[in-house]
Amino acid sequence: MTVENTPTGNLAEEQAAIPAVPEAEAAPKGVLHPVEKRALTVAVAGNPNAGKSTLINAIAGSRLHVGNWPGVTVEKKEASFDYQGTRIRLVDLPGTYSLSPYTQEEIIARDYLVNERPDLIINVVDATNLERNLYLTVQLLELGIPVVMALNMSDEAAAKGYRIDVAGIEKMMGIKVIATSATKKSGLDELLQGTIATAADLKGHLPHQLNYGTDIEAASGFLTGALNSSHPALLERFPQRWLLLKLIEGDSHVQQEAGLIDAAMLEEALHHLKTAHGEDLESLMAEVRYGLATGLTREVLQKPELAKAELTEKIDRIVLHRFFGIPIFLAAMWIMFKLTFDVSKPFADWISAMISGPFKHLAEALLGMIHAPDWTVSLVTDGIIAGTGNVLVFVPMIFAMMFFITFLEGSGYMARAAFVMDRAMHSIGLHGKSFIPMLLGFGCNVPAIYATRTLENPRDKALTALLVPLMSCGARLPVYVVFIGAFFPAHGGSVLWSLYMMGILLAIVMGFIFKKTIFKGEAPMFIMELPPYRMPSLRSLMIHTWEKGKHFLIKAGTYILAVSIMVWFLLNLPWGVEHKKDSYLGQVGSFVAPTLAPLGFGTWEASSSLIAGLVAKEIVVGTMGEIYVKKEATKEAAKPSVSAELKEAGTSLMKAAQLSVSNVTSTFGFTSLSASEDADKTAERSPLREELKKQFTPVSAYAFIVFVLLYMPCVVAAVAMVHEFGTWKWFGIAFGYQMVLAWGMACIVYQGGRLLGLGG
Amino acid sequence: MNLAKLKPGEKGRITAIGAIGPLKRRLMDMGVLVGEVVKVVKVAPMGDPIEVFIKSYNLSLRKNEAEGIAVEVVG
Repeated sequence: MTVENTPTGNLAEEQAAIPAVPEAEAAPKGVLHPVEKRALTVAVAGNPNAGKSTLINAIAGSRLHVGNWPGVTVEKKEASFDYQGTRIRLVDLPGTYSLSPYTQEEIIARDYLVNERPDLIINVVDATNLERNLYLTVQLLELGIPVVMALNMSDEAAAKGYRIDVAGIEKMMGIKVIATSATKKSGLDELLQGTIATAADLKGHLPHQLNYGTDIEAASGFLTGALNSSHPALLERFPQRWLLLKLIEGDSHVQQEAGLIDAAMLEEALHHLKTAHGEDLESLMAEVRYGLATGLTREVLQKPELAKAELTEKIDRIVLHRFFGIPIFLAAMWIMFKLTFDVSKPFADWISAMISGPFKHLAEALLGMIHAPDWTVSLVTDGIIAGTGNVLVFVPMIFAMMFFITFLEGSGYMARAAFVMDRAMHSIGLHGKSFIPMLLGFGCNVPAIYATRTLENPRDKALTALLVPLMSCGARLPVYVVFIGAFFPAHGGSVLWSLYMMGILLAIVMGFIFKKTIFKGEAPMFIMELPPYRMPSLRSLMIHTWEKGKHFLIKAGTYILAVSIMVWFLLNLPWGVEHKKDSYLGQVGSFVAPTLAPLGFGTWEASSSLIAGLVAKEIVVGTMGEIYVKKEATKEAAKPSVSAELKEAGTSLMKAAQLSVSNVTSTFGFTSLSASEDADKTAERSPLREELKKQFTPVSAYAFIVFVLLYMPCVVAAVAMVHEFGTWKWFGIAFGYQMVLAWGMACIVYQGGRLLGLGG
Repeated sequence: MNLAKLKPGEKGRITAIGAIGPLKRRLMDMGVLVGEVVKVVKVAPMGDPIEVFIKSYNLSLRKNEAEGIAVEVVG
């Protein structure tokens, strides 16, 4: 239980007087005074797809705090708020079908319920799928914690002609039941009022202990006696009924926690049960629990005799069609991909232009006023401001990606995507859902790594994230373009195609290798519900997207900024070096260069560019420009005034929004925007191209771009991997294998090319 | 006869679940129990996994998971 120290703000005072705290009434208005108020802890439990998220979003809205459960990548949502004078702390448990000890989600949910013992459980139940949902409810009742049931989607159930006897459920289970519809926001006030009413007398609202049949109840009775005499403390530590049933079930986690593994007493207690029902008591318990859920459903639910063909069925007939299923899926993915990157790109470009334009100049002007030394100006503008820009440019993309992923999940199509793609993805050890992060990887690896959260199983998730960087992202393209322009102008298309294919083929090969090594053992199961299609509420989508974007900004942003500043030091120190070769970057580059000699580009220039490319692949070309091309005395263009620039900022934001919208339309109109733009950029690079021709041969140039394709994508992707998984492990493995792969493949290309006499 | 061998549209009554451990428990938690009637709805475009209708909802599972579920065909 948590006791929170809450300064009584306006919110609480405006509400009805709080009986538990008489001081609140005595104190003069407007004066803040600390009041000890005990929050009511309410755990929200329910099946996946029962509308739990929508319900919580509708209740808590912007007060919702999204984080992770400690040590795992499973999302944790929490909200604290005052409702009619009571402080409520909602804790959203992961959606589960059961409380068995096998999946991460189930373990989290049961550990929370057993160890933290919330005051009350709100059990969100899908009224259109009562039986399977009640199976979880039956297990929740075992915990002896008061339960308030939100009979959700009751509008949908009514539309289907279902009639549910709410009072019947209340009577049989000894809990409060409130019909809700989270999408229509009906019944939510009643739900919270019911919760508070129940909380006013928790002891008086203990749920019924359902009868599990003579044999199990007898074993439970025997066990109670035995534990009372031998381990009385256990009955205190765990919810009693739950402990007894779990011991009968043979739940190894509970046995271990209770210190009762292979206890003779257990054998004795279960002897009769095993002779009567066989050794597999776990299955017996599941059958008995389902029996209770089925019996109850039969009592309280009246269904119309003949159900008409439902919308979901009709949609699935097309979407999962034998011949059209895959084309439809690919078209849907293509649209999502284009929308994610095309909608966000103008905004990202705008942010980037703002940072390197007005903000930088403003900072320069301000620092100029206080006569700051040159190196400070550079640190602030090229280090801190550029680093901030480095974080911010990813934000539109993360927002767009989260929006579409949440939409796919909420609508029910994600499960279909997995269904359609599983055969292909499973053959390389992945899950059907892995396809989406892999696809997003071609746009940018960063949102792709975050998109792996759609995979439930930790193994599927980690393996997918490890392979994502092999998908050649958009930022690598400028590097290819420069080299292709210089060395393979006639065969640009084929060279580009070969690089993308190499990434995909190596992902397949690495998938096989990982499957046989670090992910040895049986592949996780697929067993997955195909939920009915539903339109996710815009509010729910927005809240989720916003929370995710915020999370990225704060958590990942801090790291990225730190790394950017570090790189600034590397690039610019010692301060005032004439030659780039003498900077720390140049020195590190010179040091590393010999290891790249077998690849055909063992020069400090090439290695320095690659090291700088760790920050972001775009930087490779920029750095090469700086290093290779002798700096001419560039005439400073007359700088526009800061105020003019800020005015310009407003109009350019409008332009970005317009471009974003027109990108959406062009997505459906089959046109490509970026080609001409890229051509413009390459034209600017012609001096660099000439210089590259002197430094590289076609073979070493190809080896170089292969290396760029395969080595670590960028620090932001690295940070994403560490951030998303909460451990350095997967990043470490990814970094290691990619370096080996990049070096190995580039070496094969260069040495192979030389052997074939293509010139070295 | 097992569930993986049923064709779309065919129904079967579950007679035994051959799976063990977590897989068996997961199946049971999803309502795949002995005595239950299950109908094959669809096979994925690439031939695996399959979609079945059980306990008034739709479930998908891979063929190798369905192979462990013995059924008798019902009309």
